[in-house]
Amino acid sequence: MAEFNAGITETGNVQVIELSGFLDAHTAPRLENTFNELLTRQQYRVVVNFRNLKYISSAGLGVFMAFIETMRGNGGDIKLTEMQPNVYNIFDLLGFPLLYEIFPTQQEGIQKFNQSSEK
Amino acid sequence: MTNADSQRVQRNLTALIEFSRIINTSLDLNFTLNNLLFSCFGKFLTTKGFVALYSGDELNIAASKGLPHDFPDKLPDVTDTATRVSNGISSFLKDHHFEITEVIESSRKKLGIIALGEKINKAPYSDEEKEFLKIILNLAATSIENSQFIEELKVLNRQLDGRLNSLSSLFELSKEFSALVDEGRISKLLIYSLLGNFMMSGYAVIYCDDRRLRILESTYPKAVLMSTIEGRSAVSINRIMQGREIFDIFPGLESFAVSLCIPMQVQGESRGYMVLGPRINKSDYSEKDREFIYSVGGLAINALENKRLFKEALEKQKMEEELQIAKEIQKNLLPKFLPQIPEIEFAADSIPSKQIGGDYYDILQTGDSLYTVAVGDVSGKGVPAALLMANLQAFLKVTAKQNLPIEEATGLINNLITENTSDGRFITFFWLILDADEKNLQYVNAGHNPPLFIRNGKISHLDKGGIIFGVAPTMIPYIAEDVSLQKDDLIVLFTDGVTEAKNPDDDEYSDERFESLILRHASSGADEIMKVIKDDLREFVKATPQSDDITVVILKVR
Repeated sequence: MAEFNAGITETGNVQVIELSGFLDAHTAPRLENTFNELLTRQQYRVVVNFRNLKYISSAGLGVFMAFIETMRGNGGDIKLTEMQPNVYNIFDLLGFPLLYEIFPTQQEGIQKFNQSSEK
Repeated sequence: MTNADSQRVQRNLTALIEFSRIINTSLDLNFTLNNLLFSCFGKFLTTKGFVALYSGDELNIAASKGLPHDFPDKLPDVTDTATRVSNGISSFLKDHHFEITEVIESSRKKLGIIALGEKINKAPYSDEEKEFLKIILNLAATSIENSQFIEELKVLNRQLDGRLNSLSSLFELSKEFSALVDEGRISKLLIYSLLGNFMMSGYAVIYCDDRRLRILESTYPKAVLMSTIEGRSAVSINRIMQGREIFDIFPGLESFAVSLCIPMQVQGESRGYMVLGPRINKSDYSEKDREFIYSVGGLAINALENKRLFKEALEKQKMEEELQIAKEIQKNLLPKFLPQIPEIEFAADSIPSKQIGGDYYDILQTGDSLYTVAVGDVSGKGVPAALLMANLQAFLKVTAKQNLPIEEATGLINNLITENTSDGRFITFFWLILDADEKNLQYVNAGHNPPLFIRNGKISHLDKGGIIFGVAPTMIPYIAEDVSLQKDDLIVLFTDGVTEAKNPDDDEYSDERFESLILRHASSGADEIMKVIKDDLREFVKATPQSDDITVVILKVR
């Protein structure tokens, strides 16, 4: 079946999750594990890079919903970056841009965290 | 026509062609409207104007140039159906120094109006200019209508995208659900999918298996939720409920933000339901949304039910295999042949119940003329009972050959059994040692249903002995009783499976019925009596499945 991968890299005090492949009902639990790992490490500032994500289904979107409140509740956030048009279309269709900050580049997402921490 | 006139006409035509060419290169409504305004500004040398388009009956400004900041977005109520702009709006436009207004109209319908300010030289609009405006608006109308079509198509397309997304979600989920074995994963996936589609602020998934309500997922405090939903079967939640209707049924939910309650049904019967809070983006759940959630819930509950049934089937299969083993053990423990001797006629039979009740009997030759006859009933059923029965048989066989006094041997067996049971199991046991030559017997009854001893049409009970096996080591010695035998004496050993056999009305066969039957047939031979007992039992229970083994051992002195 379709490959999916979610790798974490640390950039300053921001955790970057890089997604690749297909994020659907089948692979959603793997992303869930990734977020749970961040929670265990008490890391709440997350930038997700969608550059290599080919497909996302609503179950995949649900994982972001499941964790956003915890992240924000702990002073962090999940910022979404570098989406392919087809992936963005799904996010847009389901109204995510209202709730999430979405940036064209990973760098902008990270900067947003750093700006708000300077204030 | 003067030269100047023809030049002006030429200029007008060029302007019209240019305008027509430009606005038809784009389907973007803003582009068209901006161009329309700029063309008018250039032609009439005016500095302000706007285009307002109908959306339903309402006129809204769609493009404007040079308007003051405080100019209202909304125009005064315009409900005129005439081609000319109504008086109400005319005076409004006059007040704001709009010199001219014209209706924009396609061949099919009125699209809106354009209003233009004073010319920079304050001159009034000439008839020719008004005519030009009409022509340019005609050209623009087609283009505006096309752009509006495209906008509508975009909206439709988006709705279609939404439907497609729902469908592919359903398809994906149905595939995934059927592959999942773990109940927790199924409910998680259900929640992820709903969160992804609807971003609800709170949720709970309630599942009812074997009439027991369980909360699989919940963002609400579980204890409070449970106290609210308790006592109402899932089956009664048989339709999609919203808002107030939910609180009428679950008043306790009023303290939570809850907007939807949707049943999860298997073949039209609710086996659970989902409680959903409002969506984070504040929009309502549309009818399509509710249908989608109902469908997803249906997929999930079917998956849950399938897992449950599969597990049940597995357990049943396992149990049946176990029972088969127990049946084998029991069958092998029971004697295959009975001694054939001139002094005594033996008959014995044991009918196992479906669950294997743990009945045991044995008839052993333990000396030249010595025979040991035993009946036992092990508590519990199935394999554990059968194994304890096997222990009992082993102990009995070993002990019977030691030629110990029977009361001492009984104490010994009890000690062995007690050592070998830990889980509260026990055995009721009766045994006798018969000397066929001497025509006497000795018995000990360890808590077993007293066997019947029938002589001269009178029944007495063989009830001397002591405590049942397996409860405690032997502290108080068992008591044995000697009985000397006469011709035609009848001894019937049995287990409680006989006297407690049930008929379809759940009545018990009873000691009375059993004893009176035995008395009536006491003069018959052992085999004949066995047949009579079995016939009478069969007639009594009819087709009622029995929960305990039925065992009878008969000794008839010849």
